[in-house]
Amino acid sequence: MNLSSAAILAGVAMDAWLLALVAIRGRRVWLQATYAACSLAYIALGASFVGANEGVLSPLRDDVALGIVLVAHALTAILVLGLLHGETLPRQRPWAFLLLIPVPLLAFLAPIEGWTAAAAYEGNAVGGFLVICLGIALGETIYAGYSSRLLAGPSVWLTLGVVALIVAGPVYAYELEFLREPSLAGANLASPIALACFALVALQADPFPISSRSSTAGTKSRVLPEQDAIVFEEVRPNYALRTADEASAAGRSTLIVGRNSASKFAGGAGFAAVLPSRHAALRALTTASEFLTASPGGLVVVEDVADLSTLSEWPATAEAVVRLRHVARRTHSTVIFSTSRLTNGERQAVRDLRLTWWALPDPPREIEAILAQSFGDGAARLLASFGRARGIRREDLTTDQVPALLDFLTRALAELSGVVAGTAAHGLRTQLDAAANSLQSFAALTAEEVARGEWPSRASPEDHPELLVTAAEYWKGKEMEELFTAADELILEEEK
Amino acid sequence: MDAHLRTFVIRSAFLFLISLVLVAGFWYHREFYQIGFTNLLIIGGVVTFLVIWAARLALSGELPRGRPRGELTFSMEEADRLLKSVARLVVRPSEGTTIPGVGHVVRARYDTGPEFGRLLIEDAHRAFLSDLTEADARQAGYRSADELRETGAARWRWRPADVVTVLRVRSVGGSR
Repeated sequence: MNLSSAAILAGVAMDAWLLALVAIRGRRVWLQATYAACSLAYIALGASFVGANEGVLSPLRDDVALGIVLVAHALTAILVLGLLHGETLPRQRPWAFLLLIPVPLLAFLAPIEGWTAAAAYEGNAVGGFLVICLGIALGETIYAGYSSRLLAGPSVWLTLGVVALIVAGPVYAYELEFLREPSLAGANLASPIALACFALVALQADPFPISSRSSTAGTKSRVLPEQDAIVFEEVRPNYALRTADEASAAGRSTLIVGRNSASKFAGGAGFAAVLPSRHAALRALTTASEFLTASPGGLVVVEDVADLSTLSEWPATAEAVVRLRHVARRTHSTVIFSTSRLTNGERQAVRDLRLTWWALPDPPREIEAILAQSFGDGAARLLASFGRARGIRREDLTTDQVPALLDFLTRALAELSGVVAGTAAHGLRTQLDAAANSLQSFAALTAEEVARGEWPSRASPEDHPELLVTAAEYWKGKEMEELFTAADELILEEEK
Repeated sequence: MDAHLRTFVIRSAFLFLISLVLVAGFWYHREFYQIGFTNLLIIGGVVTFLVIWAARLALSGELPRGRPRGELTFSMEEADRLLKSVARLVVRPSEGTTIPGVGHVVRARYDTGPEFGRLLIEDAHRAFLSDLTEADARQAGYRSADELRETGAARWRWRPADVVTVLRVRSVGGSR
């Protein structure tokens, strides 16, 4: 076996291994199929060259070999475009697939024009087509690296792969021709290098695994208005997760992209856990793109934009936000971004994108404000008692806990039945009923309604004069103090 | 043998091997280069430049991760905990702090200025200061979350509602 055969054979083995790796590890069917077709083309050319060179196989017909060379180059360009543009390629750049159209025509004309795979890079229509394919791949990667912070890293590897193909393709063919050495008949020595680079990029941008993907069809629900992207400005992503839950319950395909909320989120939505990676923003983008392409009209909630920024830095994350909006628009879907834990600068950068912006309240603060309307300054104490009884920190309170809070307050009031009676007990119950109504009304509000409406914490004291008079003057604090004491005693009872 | 001398010998041997490969390559392609001195100069020059450039990056330890980006400053106690691998987490305020992404290397300096090492950022996330757990604090080299918060409050005037960036780091060598 001569040196060329050995090198090409080693390359074929490497190509096959890379193909298996991408097939096993990848999560993008379309991209995997393109990668497989491209790899198989290079493997066929390499195996054919080695087989013919070593006398093991009969040489391929010239038009067939040339056809495979043409397919390999066209698929290289399509694969590179797919790696840069992901699953949105079929919708976004259908012209990429036009590259396959000349292949049968050129293969048909090959015997007539005397074109062969061995002289594929000569100055004729075939050579021109091959150079155009490699040129498109190289030009697109260089442009992506120049214009995109998100794709800057992958574009380096893609450029390296395409340049390797060019050096070992037309450049090496020219050198062999000059040296009057036999050509490689379309086989490319650098195919393992190029395919390794493409595989690396494919795996770097692989979507995050999704757990418990919703099987329901992507139907529109009235949980959200028709918007491609909505920013939820909130301290913690409470309303973002709640909206995902409501949308999922309403039958809409929903995906949450976050780091740690799988445990606290019990809805029917899918959950994609963000893994620590430099390419987290890119992977979040491909995850959402894949999901929305498969489930048009769906909903994606990116609850940890801040963590994406920490993992991939803000410029890449901001670009992912913009690209996600475009994906959502093309798939008639909605994507929600939570501003929780973003820095002021990052929050302003998101605001500058002019997306639909919903400022949302912090539930613990609003719950306390509602309680304060009935119980005055003791609201914080009641809330603290409830938190201790349930083992919930104040900042972790959500509207989901409103029924439990009302139950807790009712029980505390019942404890007072032996102490407070008559008008005082009736008044206290009236206060509790008023608080319960307000809490239930507030808890029933959707994110959109809360964003539009007046928050309890913003309401001025003059809005509830009758309650304040009752709490502060009529009861003079005596029964209130007993209620607070009863609430504290409830904790002791539950601990027992 | 002194570590510096050993490193110098290994690097020199590696460079010498690369030089041999380059010369062998030019000899192998000698007929191709008969196309002219200018072509030899341009093609050979570019190839030699790229090979030496890549070798320089590899020898400096900057491949595959690249040069350090940014820096983090530490008190003597914090630096000691990191160097002894007692601490793996670094907690910094998110606001007003520029930290490179995961997979990058940062220079680690004493707050008095000198660099004492380089740290690879393996993971990062943001959290409210009030959400930091006892386990977080212990991995950051503190006895408790309260101690971590108090130290941060003294240094950065932290409040419980502030957002902090929690980095999991690994030392990747000393200062150069």
